[in-house]
Amino acid sequence: MEITLSHYLLLAGAVFTTGMVGFVIRRNAIVMLMCVELMLSSTNIVFAAFSRFHGNADGHVFVLMNFAVAAAEAAIGLAILVEIFRRRRTVNVDDFKTLME
Amino acid sequence: MGEHILSWMTFFPVIGAAVIAFIPSERKEIIKTVAAAAAAIPLVLAVQLYIGFDRGTSAFQFVEHYTWIKSFHIEYFMGVDGLSVPMMLLTALLSFICIIASWRIDKAVKGYFALFLILETGMFGVFSALDFFLFYVFWEVMLLPMYFLIGIWGGPRREYAAIKFFLYTLAGSVLMLLAMIAFYLNVSDPVTGGHTFNMLHMFNQANHSEWLQLTNVRHLIWLGLFIGFAIKVPIVPFHTWLPDAHVEAPTAVSVILAGVLLKMGTYGILRISYPMLPDAAQWFAYPMVILGAINILYGAFCAMAQTDMKKLVAYSSVSHMGYVLLGMGAMCKVGVDLQSAQAAINGAVFQMFNHGTITAMMFLGVGVIYDRAHHREINGFGGLGMQMPVYTSFFSFALFAALGLPGLSGFISEAMIFMGTFPAYRTVAMVSALGIVIGAAYVLWMLQRVFLGPKNDKYDSLPDINAREMFTLVPIGIIVLLLGVYPMPVLNLMKVSLTNLIKVVAG
Amino acid sequence: MELLNLNIPSWSDLAYWRPEAILCGTFLAALLGDLIGRGRRPAISFVISVFGLITAGAYSVAAVLHGGAAHTIMGDLIIVDGMAAFFRLLFILAGLATVLFSWTAEEIMGRKRENKAEFFYLTVLMTAAMMVMAEARDLLMLFLSMEAVGLVSYVMAGYMRTSLRSTEASLKYVIFGAVSSGIMLYGLSLLYGMTGAMTFDGIRAGLLAGEVNGLSLLITVILILAGMSYKIAAVPFHFWCPDVYEGAPTPVAAIFSVGPKAAGFALMIRFFYTTLAAGADPSASAPLIELINWPLLMAVIAAVTMTYGNLVALRQLNVKRMLAYSSISHVGYLLMGFVLLTDAGLAAILFYLAVYTLMNLGAFFVVVALNNHIKSEELDDYAGIGFRAPWLGTMMVIFLASLTGVPPFAGFAGKFYVFTAVMDRQWFWLAILAALNSVVGLYYYFRVVKAMFLTRPAEGADTTPLKIHWLQYTVLAVLAVPTLVLGFWFGPLKVLADQAIGLLSTGM
Repeated sequence: MEITLSHYLLLAGAVFTTGMVGFVIRRNAIVMLMCVELMLSSTNIVFAAFSRFHGNADGHVFVLMNFAVAAAEAAIGLAILVEIFRRRRTVNVDDFKTLME
Repeated sequence: MGEHILSWMTFFPVIGAAVIAFIPSERKEIIKTVAAAAAAIPLVLAVQLYIGFDRGTSAFQFVEHYTWIKSFHIEYFMGVDGLSVPMMLLTALLSFICIIASWRIDKAVKGYFALFLILETGMFGVFSALDFFLFYVFWEVMLLPMYFLIGIWGGPRREYAAIKFFLYTLAGSVLMLLAMIAFYLNVSDPVTGGHTFNMLHMFNQANHSEWLQLTNVRHLIWLGLFIGFAIKVPIVPFHTWLPDAHVEAPTAVSVILAGVLLKMGTYGILRISYPMLPDAAQWFAYPMVILGAINILYGAFCAMAQTDMKKLVAYSSVSHMGYVLLGMGAMCKVGVDLQSAQAAINGAVFQMFNHGTITAMMFLGVGVIYDRAHHREINGFGGLGMQMPVYTSFFSFALFAALGLPGLSGFISEAMIFMGTFPAYRTVAMVSALGIVIGAAYVLWMLQRVFLGPKNDKYDSLPDINAREMFTLVPIGIIVLLLGVYPMPVLNLMKVSLTNLIKVVAG
Repeated sequence: MELLNLNIPSWSDLAYWRPEAILCGTFLAALLGDLIGRGRRPAISFVISVFGLITAGAYSVAAVLHGGAAHTIMGDLIIVDGMAAFFRLLFILAGLATVLFSWTAEEIMGRKRENKAEFFYLTVLMTAAMMVMAEARDLLMLFLSMEAVGLVSYVMAGYMRTSLRSTEASLKYVIFGAVSSGIMLYGLSLLYGMTGAMTFDGIRAGLLAGEVNGLSLLITVILILAGMSYKIAAVPFHFWCPDVYEGAPTPVAAIFSVGPKAAGFALMIRFFYTTLAAGADPSASAPLIELINWPLLMAVIAAVTMTYGNLVALRQLNVKRMLAYSSISHVGYLLMGFVLLTDAGLAAILFYLAVYTLMNLGAFFVVVALNNHIKSEELDDYAGIGFRAPWLGTMMVIFLASLTGVPPFAGFAGKFYVFTAVMDRQWFWLAILAALNSVVGLYYYFRVVKAMFLTRPAEGADTTPLKIHWLQYTVLAVLAVPTLVLGFWFGPLKVLADQAIGLLSTGM
């Protein structure tokens, strides 16, 4: 079987959907952050695939940058989470209700 | 000052307010004196305006015309005609008197007088602006000071009354804003071809775009403007803010509210709606007189039911503004002879002026007794005529003027309105005339309960009216009396301009 | 196409990028200063930050005065044009005011365990990142600048790390921020796929050249809008806004409410205008906009956003939370300018953003100043406070009246411009809805005024006059005076906004 552009796109779509669904149904903040990373990865697949398809390198550059951004985002997210965990001893977002009215 | 008399009148008070802002708040007497001076100068200028005004032309006079915000075609355009001059005089007179009447204010004096002067600037501006945008800005400038004047210095329910006033008026004025923008986008300047806010260009139907000539569009815009102005008048059913605001406001603010602010609603209709949308004005003529009749009767009946003197006076305002609407509506009917139309509209504008002076006297009168007895319940008094004879004569004078006693100014304007309305709308005029009877009833009823009958011993020690209070009442009294005998000084001012208005709308 | 169109920036390029470069340098210097002071001398970072912001501001003003054509920098990634210059000034004003005001804010300086200097240099960094957002003209730069602003914001929202409210707000911000940027990124990748281009111009050309399927373009645009709506807090991506504003220190909430929002709008203007509407041939632009029924989409988002923000604000008893919802409703007014992607509409957005920055910053700063004394943002605690600090109260009235949109304050001029732009294209229902919304706004804004001036304080309450720091008065006056003056003298600002947008359409 020949692997075509659509295969990559379908894969990316599946990964993106997985991330999205996971984000919506899980209540553990760490898992939610991981799901976001899945979503970012899916876009990397799309960019890489289209980069190849269009024959220019712009997409590849984007993927590299995206790695860095995703890492920074995860770092900050986890740092904040650690700060909360120290006080709360939980990472379940449903428990974070100080600001709800 | 001769060149820019309107600008000076308009902006002198706000300069006074700025000066007051920098006087230390302990120096109360200085603040009051500065305020009085800042209100006295426009009064002097108003006299100059009265003398210098050319009664023979309907053109705008004392015109000042400058570019203001070029990219939006907004101009600083001021000028007065026969419709605005009486209002300018009224504003100048009442503002000055109200500053004097506020002499006893001792809470946050600085803020009170500064806000009052800003209010005065707004009023002058509305009556002399000839650029729609400028008009709107002045119109809205008054809201904030009014909100605070009612809200800080008012009676027990002042917070509620203040925000209610503000919300009602703003709701009306955003509709006016949209109508204004619609005009701006659809009226072209004949010289440059661009958009314009110049009212004179808007008056000229030839400058209107095709879209603006569609009947439905015109009627909708008319209604938007009408609601904006109707809330200010106030026309039933938009009147419910008025009793609250009047009752809670301090005396001087009630005077301004009833004496000047209500007139801005009818002034706006005459200045803006009528000449810009004359066909819609004709279309709306019948509803207008019906609303006038409802105002007259509803206001009068409500006034009869009141036990609070101030509320009674407030509802009498609703009733009296109904006469103005009656005259304004009757003027628009096509096919009525010129004499009747002239009587109707001259009467209406004259009634605006007279109501301003007469209600001012009534509110000041209520203020005098409230300062002494600290309540306004009609049933709580009795026999004050013996205790305070001078006060009683002043107050009775005001009440008789209000019920339209011949020889006082209110009679003349009401008579003119009925003379003008009768040929146009016979039935409505006849029904409205009932209002005069009811008016007499509530006025006499109050007179009897408060001043006649057995004396209430509680008030044995009430002092009679003092010199300062006399000073506020006497000038207005003289005007009411003089115009009742010889109304020409005011009628001559407006006649030519109003005849021109009839030609535009119904001609 | 070249394999890599990323050019190494040359020195001559940097000449047009001085303010950004200066701010980056300032950030590093302030960070270094903090290290030298061992985290105990925030004054070093404060002074460096203020100095850097002023210098960058001076260069930005000079760039505006010199005018001139647009310059692209780093290949095609960044463009410095009239609009970029406009937003530079706006962001520097917001950043500088925030830094100056925070110096006397107890919420920042009164905390024991936090490193205060952090707040100053992070603000500087955010200012620089926001400027880049307004200059990006390439998907890569768009994404990077948005993330840069986002990452700094997450940290700033969690500034009070010993406070649960602050850290929770920050977590909420970072999680939902990450997911919204993920969604947007997916949209960007699809757009790249459709057109094979990264630059906005290239995308536009690609869209016009190829046969674009309306539905897939619509889905792509909606995905991208999701990320941008999060940044500007438009319904339905607004939910983080009240929580973050309430949880974060008030000075942070102040700059959040104007800075990233304005930057988001700048980005949206450049992106959607260039890709969907602009170009030398205006007749060619209509198909793309009509293909996805853009006007209706935006009109509905604008209408829902302003109405929702206003209605929920009515119920708030916490001033900070109320201001948060009010800022959502203002986003609704701003989005009205997007409905038709016309020059007038976009210029109206710029104009409104400028006045919004002044008045909203001012209102938040008054909350900060009061919080220094009464340690509360609850409406009930504001009773009678207007008489304890009359000038502060007066300025709050100016800001709130301006937010309401009552003349003669700047907010009215902004509303007037937006309404005019919308009514010019006959979107009457939207204009009427917005007008009625501003009446609703009056009620809750003036509840604050009522509490400050009309309500008498409870028996035995403290009625001594409040001592407000001179620096606070100065900053507030710098915001209040233009709020008043722009209400009746807004011609120059309008010309500036018009020019900025005019260059956008011609100076490509």
